[in-house]
Amino acid sequence: MQYVAGVWKEFLEFVGGRGGALHLLLFLAALAVCFFLGKQERKRLFWPSVLVLIFFFNPLFYKYVGMRFLGGVYWRLLWMLPISFVIAYALTRLVDRIQKNVLRVGAIILACFCIILAGEPIFSQTTYQEKQNEYELPQAAIEISDYVEGHLMDWKETIIVPNELLCSIRQYSSAACLLYGRNSGGFISDIGEDEAKVFAEMSKEEPDIELVTRIALEKNCRYIVFNTSFHQIPEDLTKYGYQKATVVEDVYAIYCRIE
Amino acid sequence: MNCKDVIFLSLMFVAVPMWIGTIWVRLLKLEGRANRVLHAWVLGFVTMLAVSQLVLVPLVALGRTLTAALSIWKFVLQVLAVLAFGMLICEKEFWTKKFSAPAEGKRKQREEMRSGWTIAFALLAGVLIFIQAYIPARYEHSDDDDARFIAEQVSAVVHDTMYMESPIEADYLYWDTGEVRKDLTSPWAMFLAMNARLSGIEPAVLSHTYLPFFLTLLCYGVYVLIGKELFGDDWEKTFLFLIFLSVIHLAGYTSTHTLASMLLLRIWQGKAVCASFMLPLMFYLFYRIMQKEYHRSWIALLYVASTGACLLSGIGIVTAPIMLFLYGALDFGYHRAWRKTFAIWMAAVPCAIFFGYYLM
Repeated sequence: MQYVAGVWKEFLEFVGGRGGALHLLLFLAALAVCFFLGKQERKRLFWPSVLVLIFFFNPLFYKYVGMRFLGGVYWRLLWMLPISFVIAYALTRLVDRIQKNVLRVGAIILACFCIILAGEPIFSQTTYQEKQNEYELPQAAIEISDYVEGHLMDWKETIIVPNELLCSIRQYSSAACLLYGRNSGGFISDIGEDEAKVFAEMSKEEPDIELVTRIALEKNCRYIVFNTSFHQIPEDLTKYGYQKATVVEDVYAIYCRIE
Repeated sequence: MNCKDVIFLSLMFVAVPMWIGTIWVRLLKLEGRANRVLHAWVLGFVTMLAVSQLVLVPLVALGRTLTAALSIWKFVLQVLAVLAFGMLICEKEFWTKKFSAPAEGKRKQREEMRSGWTIAFALLAGVLIFIQAYIPARYEHSDDDDARFIAEQVSAVVHDTMYMESPIEADYLYWDTGEVRKDLTSPWAMFLAMNARLSGIEPAVLSHTYLPFFLTLLCYGVYVLIGKELFGDDWEKTFLFLIFLSVIHLAGYTSTHTLASMLLLRIWQGKAVCASFMLPLMFYLFYRIMQKEYHRSWIALLYVASTGACLLSGIGIVTAPIMLFLYGALDFGYHRAWRKTFAIWMAAVPCAIFFGYYLM
């Protein structure tokens, strides 16, 4: 029962919300249409889809393969389900049965309208935004990395950056290295106790500067970057062993270790 | 976008695969200009993926440099290109075909393609597909998974290594597997790093600005083939199928896990290429194979596709054998040709080898 619930959870994760359920219903309806359309459709679209669904919902497969090798991403097996192809095929065949051209065009528009209404638009302001540069990375990440690369004392420098830049810095520079990155959220690898403390402080509006700078010095971090629009920190950090080097994008203050 | 980069990538992602793909087009004896061009592009690209997998995995395991991998990869591609050229000039029809008048069937097909509805559907499908290729290239979508994939490429290009540094701290990794072990058996990031090194384009720019355009069009190349196969080369229905498919994808952001999300939000990542290109390609190959009469070379392509699927992602290593098993069993149910079923199932061997290596 536990495995059935596990598979169902993965299935719901794949489907998403109401829009996903509606598209899934559309797929099941299209699959039924394919069953009645003929032998070729059954062979190419109906039975493969049914077999994939049986395979996916098999609790034994989930127990021995899914949980062991596909933990958390078992839903990816549903990519083997030709959902969009089956829907598009069934709609094309149904529309093609209409003889009158006006009605045919009307049916195409209606079908598209239903699909759009049921789903969620993929191109929107939540998914895409105007790019700041050709790298499609935050401009601040590029300018911080450029600054670090321009003042290298070794082949790399370890830096601490605000959380919103954790994923971007290393996509631009191989010399600007992070004390912790995406793993601060427990992704792939865990971070050390000290790194976790710094991450916790950097997530606060008023970080404990003494703690952050002490660990940064211990861990050989030459730079600490604060987002001054979020972090409320004193202007002068010299008593902690760091001095302001520059400010990029008006809000990112780069503090450099006093050598 | 830089004009020089666009030209170079057009060569790397269109011209070179197309040239290599002509080997398959000739082996499969495919007819029709559009049909041959599409097949050449798609099958050539999957061949390039398979070759990359065979070159990269041993070299990553041996701790060799990116330069070494690139040299061997280029050499193999050159051999394939020469082979394609050899096959072209050895073809009898090469010297005579272009002077012969089009056959009656072809003339009919061309007339059918020129019918009003076909043109209208073709234009609409073309516009919708172009929008899907253009917007991801023109605008910015950030995905946190790139923190690993692109960082690995940057390290590889700058330090001429392959998975030797942590993508976060840049610490030297004292094992042969990259940040996670599946990097070794699915080195898609190194495939892109080779392209970045070859083109001189920064990995982030290559992945975020250029690849979405080329890869989305490539995926639709596969979908056109699927449509043509499902509708028996009826262009009008194929274009209508593409219109519906495009609308489904454009309205398909029902979760971040759907095919539409993979195709239109992060097509530059290996798993997205697996979901949007490789698995649909395998559907297509099965449609060609699951017939009473079929060309044997289609089965050979299953071996190439399953090897290529391993390059893309760990999920490719898992899904390709499952699909081979399911479709092979289904084909056996229909045709009772056990040799054919066995040949289909054996195409999972490359995946089994890489999976075994992953477990070691």
